[in-house]
Amino acid sequence: MALIERLQRRASNWGLLPRLLQLLPRLAILSGIIGLGWLAIYLPLEGEFRHTYISENALMPSQAYSYFRETEWNLLRGYRTQIKQLADESSDQRNAVLGSWLEEVGVKTAIYRDPVNGDSLYGVWHAPRGDGTEAMVLAAPWYNGDGDFNVGGTALATALTKFFSRWPLWSKNIIVVFSEDTRASLRSWCHAYHNNLDLTGGSIESAIVLDYPGSNDYFKYMEIYYAGLNGELPNLDLVNVAVHVTEHEGMRVSLNGIPESEVDEEDYYGRMRKMLLGVRKMALAGVQTCYGNEAFSGYRIQSVVLRARGTDGPFDITTFGRVPEAVIRSVNNLLEKFHQSFFFYLLLAPRYFVSIASYLPAAIAFSAAFILAGLDNYLKSSMKTSAGPNASSYTLATIFVFVASLVASFGVFQIFVQWVKPAILVLSSVMASLAPIYPLKNRVSSAHAQQLKAIAFFYLSVVLTSLLVVNFALAFGIGLLAFPMIFLKTTTNPRLAIKNSILLTATNPFICSCLFANVFESQLPNLELIPRLVSAWKELGCWTWVLISIGWLPSWLTMAISSLPTTDTVSTTQKPTTLDTDVKKLQ
Amino acid sequence: MRANLVCLWAFIAARNSIAVNSIDDELVIPNETESAGSADQTCSILKSSNSPENNTYTVGKKEREEPEIVEELEIGLDGDTKINAVLFSNETIIKYPFGEELTLKPLPRNFMLASFAFELQSNNFTVGKTESAYDTYRHYTVFPKALSPILEYTQTRQLHLRFTHGRWDAESWGQLPHNGTKSGGNGVELWAVVEAGSQHEAFENWIMLANSLSGLFCSSINFIDVEKTTYPVSSFQPAEERTIPIFNSSNQAYLLRAALANEPICTENLTPFLKLLPTRGRSGISSLLDGHKVFDSNWHSLSIDVETSCNGDTCQYQMEENIEMVFNVPNSLARADNPIPKPVRDSDLQCDESKPHDSWECFPLPQSKHTNFQLSKLFGKKILGSNLISENPSKVCAQVSDSWTVYVGIDDDLFATDDNCFTIKNDQLHDIHLKSDNTAHLKECEDVPLFVSRSLTGYGQDSGGLRTVFSNPSNESVQAIYFESLPWYMRLYLSSLKIESDAGLEIGDVIKSTFYLPAIDRERPTHLEFNITIPAETTLALTYQFDKALLKYAEYPPDANHGFEIESALVTVLTPIHYEMRTTTLLLSLSTPDFSMPYNVIILTSTVMGLAFGTLFNLMVKKLVTIEEADKKASAKVGLKAKLIAKLKKLKGKGDKVNQLKKDQ
Repeated sequence: MALIERLQRRASNWGLLPRLLQLLPRLAILSGIIGLGWLAIYLPLEGEFRHTYISENALMPSQAYSYFRETEWNLLRGYRTQIKQLADESSDQRNAVLGSWLEEVGVKTAIYRDPVNGDSLYGVWHAPRGDGTEAMVLAAPWYNGDGDFNVGGTALATALTKFFSRWPLWSKNIIVVFSEDTRASLRSWCHAYHNNLDLTGGSIESAIVLDYPGSNDYFKYMEIYYAGLNGELPNLDLVNVAVHVTEHEGMRVSLNGIPESEVDEEDYYGRMRKMLLGVRKMALAGVQTCYGNEAFSGYRIQSVVLRARGTDGPFDITTFGRVPEAVIRSVNNLLEKFHQSFFFYLLLAPRYFVSIASYLPAAIAFSAAFILAGLDNYLKSSMKTSAGPNASSYTLATIFVFVASLVASFGVFQIFVQWVKPAILVLSSVMASLAPIYPLKNRVSSAHAQQLKAIAFFYLSVVLTSLLVVNFALAFGIGLLAFPMIFLKTTTNPRLAIKNSILLTATNPFICSCLFANVFESQLPNLELIPRLVSAWKELGCWTWVLISIGWLPSWLTMAISSLPTTDTVSTTQKPTTLDTDVKKLQ
Repeated sequence: MRANLVCLWAFIAARNSIAVNSIDDELVIPNETESAGSADQTCSILKSSNSPENNTYTVGKKEREEPEIVEELEIGLDGDTKINAVLFSNETIIKYPFGEELTLKPLPRNFMLASFAFELQSNNFTVGKTESAYDTYRHYTVFPKALSPILEYTQTRQLHLRFTHGRWDAESWGQLPHNGTKSGGNGVELWAVVEAGSQHEAFENWIMLANSLSGLFCSSINFIDVEKTTYPVSSFQPAEERTIPIFNSSNQAYLLRAALANEPICTENLTPFLKLLPTRGRSGISSLLDGHKVFDSNWHSLSIDVETSCNGDTCQYQMEENIEMVFNVPNSLARADNPIPKPVRDSDLQCDESKPHDSWECFPLPQSKHTNFQLSKLFGKKILGSNLISENPSKVCAQVSDSWTVYVGIDDDLFATDDNCFTIKNDQLHDIHLKSDNTAHLKECEDVPLFVSRSLTGYGQDSGGLRTVFSNPSNESVQAIYFESLPWYMRLYLSSLKIESDAGLEIGDVIKSTFYLPAIDRERPTHLEFNITIPAETTLALTYQFDKALLKYAEYPPDANHGFEIESALVTVLTPIHYEMRTTTLLLSLSTPDFSMPYNVIILTSTVMGLAFGTLFNLMVKKLVTIEEADKKASAKVGLKAKLIAKLKKLKGKGDKVNQLKKDQ
């Protein structure tokens, strides 16, 4: 107590608080820079990340010999030839034929009818003498994320099911799913499984999506996708098992679709690139191409996608098949649900990771930056209004404006879900961004403007803080993209007004995320991002659209209103007080 | 060998004579146990000659230990020679009320049901006389000695115990054996009719029963407690033709039931089952039962039913023991050859010739319909002769269609019968040969009157739902009772009961009456019984919602993250036929704490409390002054350092003075 008291007295003697308060805008900027630097520069440094390890001892990946080889190869090719002929058939036809093959193996099959997203054929292989309370999913969508007919994947799933049916060791049921696509159809099946399917096989522990388009026998390397919707990741143990098994079979692993040339780069820049790509994939999960694992998010199912790349190479299709075989056998060993290892992590390489404690400061720094900026604006405005005659009416007006922008954002969110017109959205955003140069007669007082900015920053900070654990990548992304809002100045200077207008355009949720997508994601050209966001919300239940339009947009709108041409009305009615005297009052 | 026997019997007789002489009644019971133990040794000697040395050893050892008995041995021998003569000079085999039968029933898709049924009866006993009060020697003969005292002191009139595991594929295999009355849900299921003066007393007896059975069957039946026990109202009712005998007219009969879902069932549970049989699994059909094979089957069920039937004051226990299993014949045979199902050899691949096939690819043919195997291949051994102690010799029956041929093989000879039933004779090794050109052609499978499946819905940690699908494929409406017992941590909302039906049925059309006993936390499970009617050719689903309760820290099991097993629901079909079936068990995941969290919480709270205490303590013991006053005091106060400096200066000053003086001098 005495120590704190002494420190506090020292600080007040030195005038530390007023000095800090003057430094607030700079501190806010510094905090943002620290946030970016922490993630991009600090974490990939040697010593800041860890080697992955299998945390759950029961998993024992690759401890048993994989038998999906030899004549299983002939059977697989037999199935594949037949499936190739099904490519041009209707979905009903395909499902009926494949269903009959599965029934022949002893699998109970059913077709889940979804007239909107497409039917899914699924089969439950009941583990002999099993409890029937748990299940593992092997999914092979008919068409993969790129829209190619998944010949290899579906043939593998069929051959593996037949292969599995001969083994007596299963403790969990095996559910094999053939959905129409990797996105809405698989998601809709997963939703129905947890709601109203008649044929079920217990609670699903893990899901493996097989993606092997084309009927080539050989492939080059394996891609693993793991980022789920809404920031959800599969338990690190499952990813580790998949990586471990794949490398055990001799294949190279590419995470999140890193191009083949960069797979082996494990130096500082390689790690940085892989990690930032991982963060980007997580933030845009559901919006960019879905490979299938996203469908299982939110149901406590750990899922990964195994994807064969390259049409020639040293590895043949049964080598690929041994990976799901070994992963499923590992999961089969589990007595408890996945809970040992990390649920929050970033991978810097297939076998390097950072855990939540290490990476979280990056997003916290952005939240802190907005709090500091908000505090700065709040103090400045309260300095101007505290002695004024209409202080409470200012506050009321601020709250009213903020609530209005919140309502407007909600309107935007609802309207554009029904009526997807990205051009209009972007155009009106640009119009709103021109707010600082509107020729207005009734100008906003600068105190009012600062109060509005304060509430906008506080709101954004609250949104980001509550999001940062749940969906780190999105919190970090919004923080980073909205960060330039801090530079918006309350001014009467017309030159600065133009600068404000440019800043507003650059931080508009829709414009800036579209720009980001255009720069980094070749799959999302022009304004493609916005309809994708909407469809991800409608079909997959991905919250990114909601967070952008209700989390980010209200504070941007408030900022735009606060950037309307201002006058220093307060200063004319009241003598400006010095900062120091005001701070003393606060104390 | 005969000499050994005589010696042994003499020994028993000697022990008995001591027992009779003994005054202390309590001593009689252990003696009886001893004699029962010797009696089975006699059995094993009768049947085969595998352990005479053992017996000699035992006797010899006893003789050495108790030399006085040896002296009395002569007297005992004299008294009991007649019995010995009756027992052993007669070549005809002793008859006891025991019967056993093995039924083999091929099922679709090359599965086969093997159903072992054993029936036995106890000797008569008189109501009102406890075991120790018998003035005559109490014979158990074939009835297991282990069970009778348990039934007696827990006043159990009917006992039903089920160990079941696996999934009965009703869609393909049809009805369960014995109309489903002999198999339970996944795990262990126990119900009993207990005579008692009050429900409380009945429950005490029940717990005693569960604990005793737990030891007897090497199973966790002792985990049955008040949280799991229900008193079924319209399910589990004893068969009508059997009246429950009440020994004390002021008592009542109580029906109690509990289940342990997904309790693992293993060899150590089978061994006690075999030990209850008079043949001990060493002769007759039970000699086939080997844990490795029984528990390698797709579905298996071990059951015991003991019922008390009385005629006036004379009562008798009647016991049925059933051990049933379903094999996937090709897989089991393949496993007998090679335990690892490796990929088949190139030459063994069976390809569909109508589709492209070469040395690179092969579209598999459907399963072969030819079969030819011996029972010994499936079970790993042959039948070791008949049971030799029963009124009826052991029997093996195969329920097959014309496409099958069944032989019994004795040594190298094969025999066939018209009805495919074989009597196992003497102590020869028997084997059953089954052969078919069309395994799909089976004896008519009775269709199941109703299909039921149940699943959990939802995915949250705080709430969920149950969905039960009833499907009546027949053209008759089905009346049934749906019984469900759910743990208290599933807080059921019966108000959320809804029906999903394409035919537009209302709840009132399906559920005719409801018995609902809500759960009490940690004291009682939810007990639900619906009387339902499912119209012909209809599929409907009943759904209801529940909340998941939070458990106390210590209430979580060691494998808390596995989830909590929810026992299966029972459906008793009343019309058109009497049939029982169970749904699968479920795995409920509750929110599970990180079990290291309490320590973090303790550390955090301690820190906060420490801070608060420090502040308060400071406020209480220190004087509050203004900053100016404090500053003034601080400047006025002479610190330790200043005092020291002053002292030093003083010393220095003194020294200087001294020096000065010295100098002056």
